[in-house]
Amino acid sequence: MDKNKVRSIADLVRESAKEYGDKVFLKELAGSEVIERSFNDFYGDVRRFAGYVFKKYPDDVHTAVIGPSSYGWLVSWFGTVGGGNTAVPLDALLSPQDICELLVRSDTDIFCYDPRYEKMIPAVKANCPNVKECISFAELPGLLESAEPAELPDVPADRLAAIVYTSGTTGKSKGVMLLNGNYIDNAMCQDNEATSDDVMLSVLPIHHIYCFTCDVLISLRYGITLCFNDSLMHIPQNLKRFAPTAILIVPMIAETMYKQIKAAAAQNPNVPIAAIAQNVFGGRLKTIYSGGAYLRPELQKAYMDMGFIMAQGYGMTECAPRISTADPNDKSCAGDVGVIVNGCTVKIEDGEILVKSPSVMAGYYKDEAATAEALTPDGWLRTGDLGYVDEKNRIFITGRKKNLIILSNGENVSPEELENKFAGLDFIADVLVYSEDSVITAEIFPAPEAMKNMSESELEAALREAVDAINKTVIPAKAIRRLRIRDVEFEKTTSKKIKRSQPVKGRQIQ
Amino acid sequence: MLEKIKELICNYVEVNPEDITENSRFIEDLGFNSYDFISMLGDLETELGVTVDENEIMEIHTVGEAVKYLNKLKEN
Repeated sequence: MDKNKVRSIADLVRESAKEYGDKVFLKELAGSEVIERSFNDFYGDVRRFAGYVFKKYPDDVHTAVIGPSSYGWLVSWFGTVGGGNTAVPLDALLSPQDICELLVRSDTDIFCYDPRYEKMIPAVKANCPNVKECISFAELPGLLESAEPAELPDVPADRLAAIVYTSGTTGKSKGVMLLNGNYIDNAMCQDNEATSDDVMLSVLPIHHIYCFTCDVLISLRYGITLCFNDSLMHIPQNLKRFAPTAILIVPMIAETMYKQIKAAAAQNPNVPIAAIAQNVFGGRLKTIYSGGAYLRPELQKAYMDMGFIMAQGYGMTECAPRISTADPNDKSCAGDVGVIVNGCTVKIEDGEILVKSPSVMAGYYKDEAATAEALTPDGWLRTGDLGYVDEKNRIFITGRKKNLIILSNGENVSPEELENKFAGLDFIADVLVYSEDSVITAEIFPAPEAMKNMSESELEAALREAVDAINKTVIPAKAIRRLRIRDVEFEKTTSKKIKRSQPVKGRQIQ
Repeated sequence: MLEKIKELICNYVEVNPEDITENSRFIEDLGFNSYDFISMLGDLETELGVTVDENEIMEIHTVGEAVKYLNKLKEN
């Protein structure tokens, strides 16, 4: 695809149809049947949705879209943005109250929803006075059939494309304003990432920017066939059904798949593990992209050793999302999160990673204070992440700025940097590092198996040994000087992250 | 059913099958991550020829609850 012809989402859909035509763009399941749509089908339906909206709403509209990955979801999003309007993709796991709140805050005019949300429509009508119309994806085929297809307008790159709400764990989530140009820059910043022979299985939530840009926009750009996974329970079956060449996952899925491979290998000791792994992944998989959280270098190496490219990237919603992406030729598994993408500049200020690129958001919707906090006056995005860039332009993340421990001697210590050093020790389930009376303390919840199979003294000795080994890898000021062991699990957030602010529960053993 | 689940649990975590009881909690006691649990239910769907409702699995925390839920699906 000629990148120079693509400035907006409308251009991307139009050019993908011109270039890939009747090739299959999307496969999705309806029961056990696979339904296929071509790039031309998609362009036609996007034009019909835009035509429906133009006819009914002469002014600009905001369209919220909610539901698991589906063709209806895509047509609603692209029909809105392709017509120069603004989409509001919502998290399918939000409660009805939160959905209503975001519909109000985002000034949503049209609410497009998966039929499973039918029950909450009366609440939307009662609580969201701005919402003028609710469209179920079940009604969409009829609506599209009777709509006049519109010519997609010439949408400028600086037109607002979407308001994407962050899943902030503290306070209210913020509405990231992404422009057409932000999405296009991020989808176009790298070259030769895929070909039209590629097939991707999309398993992550589609409202999430990582899935949206890297599965959907990248598929439109390169002519990839995108297959929607119908349930997280069915990834193994759908890997076999669609035989993808690439897949985007989060580290937790990589961990589970690796356990399945190891279990299959134990049952088939005479079959090479690479062959077993390829069988588990459907037989044609080349590249696994991992993002969203920290990927253990050991796990990355294990996948590389089985013959896959295990590519780890880094980004955030505010940057549409890619800031760095893996170099497929770098097999060092050095613990980095990839090389800075083209057109993106990174600088480090007081240890924090700051980013400037055409992908960076316009700000937070109706939240000037939060925007001023995140964007500097000269356009740098404060990521809130701590890290550094090496001579190969690779980014290394060491922690979150808000979690930084500042000791009484003024030394800054990133707890995540120390916690990550415990990764791979199978007798430890979770670890939390914090400052206690200005002493760096590691509090450990042992793995349930270890608590059963090891005596208390054996376990304590193993933990002391692990901490001693870790302390040898850091400067003395960052060494863990106190060790606590607990027999109750840490309190966690709904996304299974340990809550950092919780009372000390473990007994001190060092 | 319990034996089948025990067998599958051992594909995800290193645990002695004799130590798994109906009271064992998947995440807290057996060391599952939340995707291990979802994936195991996918395995059980295939093996038992049943359809698991994603909205209902949020209520399953222990091995016993999983046994009860799957037995109910099988009867239907």
